Amino acid sequence: MTAEADLAQPLSLYLHVPFCAVHCPYCDFAIHIGAEDLHRPYIEAVIRELRLLAAGGAERHPLDTVYLGGGTPSLLDRQLLEDLLSAVREAFAIAPDGEITIEANPTDLTDEQARGWLALGINRVSLGVQSLDDRSLRWLGRNHDRSQALAAIEVLQGAGLENLSCDLIYAIPEQSTEVFAAGIRALASYSPAHVSCYELTVEAGTPLAWSVAQGRAKAPRERDFLEQHRLARGLLEGAGLLQYEVSNYARPGRESRHNLGYWQGRHYLAAGCGAHGFVSPGMAGGWGIETTPSAVGVRYWNLRNASTYIKQVGALGHGRRGQEEIDEAQREAERLACGLRLRDGVELSQPQQLATAEDLVRLGLLTLSGSRAIATTSGIEVLDRVTLELLGPVPVPYPVSSLPGSN
Amino acid sequence: MGRQSVGIIAPQMASQATSRIRNFSIIAHIDHGKSTLADRLLELTGTVSARDLTEQMLDTMDLERERGITIKAQAVRMSYQAQDGLTYEFNLIDTPGHVDFAYEVSRALAACEGALLVVDASQGIEAQTLANVYKALELGLEIVPVVNKIDLPQADPELVREEIARVIGIPAERSILASARTGEGVDRILEAVVTALPPPVGDAEAPLRALIFDCKYDAYRGVVVYVRVMDGRLRSGTQIRMMASQGTFAVDEVGIFRPSMVAVDELTAGEVGYLIASIRNVRDSKVGDTITEVSRPAREALPGYRQVSPMVWAGLFPVEGDDYQGLKEALDRLQLNDAALTFEAETSVALGFGFRCGFLGLLHMEIVQERLEREFQLNLITTAPSVAYRVTLRNGTDLEIDNPDQLPEVGLIETIEEPRVKLEIVVPREHLGGIMELCQERRGEFVQLEYQPPGERALLTYDLPLGEIIHDFYDQLKSRSRGYASMDYQLTGYRPEQLVKLDVLVAGSRVDALSIIVHRQQASVQGRKLVQRLRQVIPRQLFEVAIQAAVGGKVIARETVPALRKDVLAKCYGGDITRKRKLLEKQREGKQRMKRVGSVEIPQEAFMAVLSLDR
Repeated sequence: MTAEADLAQPLSLYLHVPFCAVHCPYCDFAIHIGAEDLHRPYIEAVIRELRLLAAGGAERHPLDTVYLGGGTPSLLDRQLLEDLLSAVREAFAIAPDGEITIEANPTDLTDEQARGWLALGINRVSLGVQSLDDRSLRWLGRNHDRSQALAAIEVLQGAGLENLSCDLIYAIPEQSTEVFAAGIRALASYSPAHVSCYELTVEAGTPLAWSVAQGRAKAPRERDFLEQHRLARGLLEGAGLLQYEVSNYARPGRESRHNLGYWQGRHYLAAGCGAHGFVSPGMAGGWGIETTPSAVGVRYWNLRNASTYIKQVGALGHGRRGQEEIDEAQREAERLACGLRLRDGVELSQPQQLATAEDLVRLGLLTLSGSRAIATTSGIEVLDRVTLELLGPVPVPYPVSSLPGSN
Repeated sequence: MGRQSVGIIAPQMASQATSRIRNFSIIAHIDHGKSTLADRLLELTGTVSARDLTEQMLDTMDLERERGITIKAQAVRMSYQAQDGLTYEFNLIDTPGHVDFAYEVSRALAACEGALLVVDASQGIEAQTLANVYKALELGLEIVPVVNKIDLPQADPELVREEIARVIGIPAERSILASARTGEGVDRILEAVVTALPPPVGDAEAPLRALIFDCKYDAYRGVVVYVRVMDGRLRSGTQIRMMASQGTFAVDEVGIFRPSMVAVDELTAGEVGYLIASIRNVRDSKVGDTITEVSRPAREALPGYRQVSPMVWAGLFPVEGDDYQGLKEALDRLQLNDAALTFEAETSVALGFGFRCGFLGLLHMEIVQERLEREFQLNLITTAPSVAYRVTLRNGTDLEIDNPDQLPEVGLIETIEEPRVKLEIVVPREHLGGIMELCQERRGEFVQLEYQPPGERALLTYDLPLGEIIHDFYDQLKSRSRGYASMDYQLTGYRPEQLVKLDVLVAGSRVDALSIIVHRQQASVQGRKLVQRLRQVIPRQLFEVAIQAAVGGKVIARETVPALRKDVLAKCYGGDITRKRKLLEKQREGKQRMKRVGSVEIPQEAFMAVLSLDR
């Protein structure tokens, strides 16, 4: 497949901005605290990497979505953001109806900032609300409180942003289900277009994992996961935000196009430290990544440390740390694992999958319409196992016997 | 005698008379230093140079080296220049060191005139060692005790010497103090072999009688038979007959072990060596059988031959049905070299096609299982081991049942008899209570208790069902004595008991491979423990799973594995997909090791759950 042919499908771009004002103890993303002096050299490195990515065969190709994630991209000053987005437009192009998202923290978000983003063409903001309970926010180590979160929502909506998404975290040990419910109700009264609702995950290697291991922090309670997940779904759907993925709720038409791309197996470019991209073998070839004939895709990931990243981009033009070829079987596993997360479900192709799916339908975990499998609400709660069932056993090669045992 | 030397054999060896031959073996408990002493003897006699000496020279299988045990017997010939100025021919026969291989040990001992009894200077004599010493004494062997590891700080050589004197009756001063590790005292051991052990007696002119004490399969040469010539001569071209199995063969080659095989012209009365006679199968060369000459047969075979038969049976099933053929080939190959291993095809509703295998004991079973997995890359499920029960039906038919699943319906059975053993345990006094309790729990009947003066250790004898020993007995023995107790057992016979079959139902269907035979009085306790244990090892499924234990269709215990409630990760974005897929791949491999029974996935350990029921 040539790089040109690959571009028949929409292409997305993820840009990682690793800077944060504080380190939230539960976070395992690639981030740097403070480091203002790194902002400019970093953005310049990202711009340089973007040019190299485009030279792989996607120059001037209109991007369907651009996502500025972090870290805290909202920490970047207006000029740096402008430089960055101009570089994106120069290296590629952004489709006229392109979705451009920035992740933002509620802390000190001003009207000027919000209007500035809109002026740059940013048309979607993902706001890290996390909770509307001050005690929980303190436990999470966030540097904002409830009133700042609500003020940020008002500022963004006041500036004319229609496509606002708010992140919430549930199963916080400090937050009772009642308090969590009150938070959702309060948030829903602002009618955001989109809500992402994640369970608190104790990721290995984070300060939170350390505190839990030391007994200094409580681990999330198993029963809260399901109780609060179900509660969130009920309340949000009642407010017109429909669950379209395991953790994501949106008003019809306001689903995150960028994130849907991940779940639907579309290609995405990535620039910046710690970022992951997924492209065709043809495009990877344009960057000098060689693949075997069995490859149907290439996933790559960048260096996690910003300084190292800047250095390598200076030397090589890219920040790539590693890559893997995806073969047909792996793509199929990913397609199922990601596709089942979606309200629209996934097409099943193999007869064995359909047979297993029928068993799962009987257990009330799936519905089947034709060959399209859709997880039910109970199915979503055990989705990883459902996926495993549908994938079936790994084919194993016939064992190679050793020579006769001669003692 | 007109013998020609061949290969590297020194000329003086060829003219040695039997008076300068010493055939001996080493009796020792695991870890008491048998292999190290053997290594030292090889080194000091110049049989193997220190440079070529790999540790535990005689344990040639990887498994043997790793576990520090000897599975196959080995023989090696050494030349020793004694202080009397003469050169002696030593044949050291290394014997398996585990109760499973007791018969092989007895045949290896029968090939010798003497034995070195190696006892750890800090541990004293263990039950197993004692059993082997008695065996050696019964066979008329001379014993030279060696108190080993005297270099260790916790060694108390004098105490151990006294113990040997009291228990075996060999005067304390005759025990040699040594350290195989440092080499101290090993020269005295070599001299004692010459002076304290008798030379073989046998008539080289009498009709041939050679004792088979082991054999192995060599991929290039066929079966190599380990022999001790008692009477007569054995040379290439001799037409031989196996007196028990009646096979006849023409000898292609005879030779000795130095320690690699070296051909010689002839083995005569008193000598130890090997023969090769295009024997295809180890079964045609049974340990304990007597070899004679077809043209001039001996009138009587050597005493002590016994058909070795399995004591323990278990089903081996490939996790993946496709591996069935691979398993069959692997078992065929192992059987080439393991005459005690038996197997026949078996079908289980739960586990599909597999093999019912017979083993000498639990260690033998573990070894076979491990070799199959390691050397043949097979992924196996082993069912709980069972003994063979003698069943008499009301209609008078007699059956032997080694698979609990095949036990006929209760209504048809007149009696069930189970095998019993005489179990001997040596245990330090402070742990005696716990061990007696263990024997009682396992339906043991007390036979006798002797204190080995000065009274720290007890020799405990119980009469107990064999089936009770194969389920977690040894581990319990070790844990209840903090590792100090040792045991030995021998089959004594069969006795009728009130035995029933305990069935297990998972999600309503009976899992044939989980059935066990238990005593009626213990059925409900065992059933309860079994379902509790299964509840722990069967992972949560997408639906609730009932686990029931039943006797004769009546449910006596029940547990439930609740349905899986939550198994999903909230976040899955661009950077998570690879990690997610890798996790899925790992879980898929994990599922590989489970067996699907009906709609329930049962992991391997469930089929062995019965082994770890702590009672």
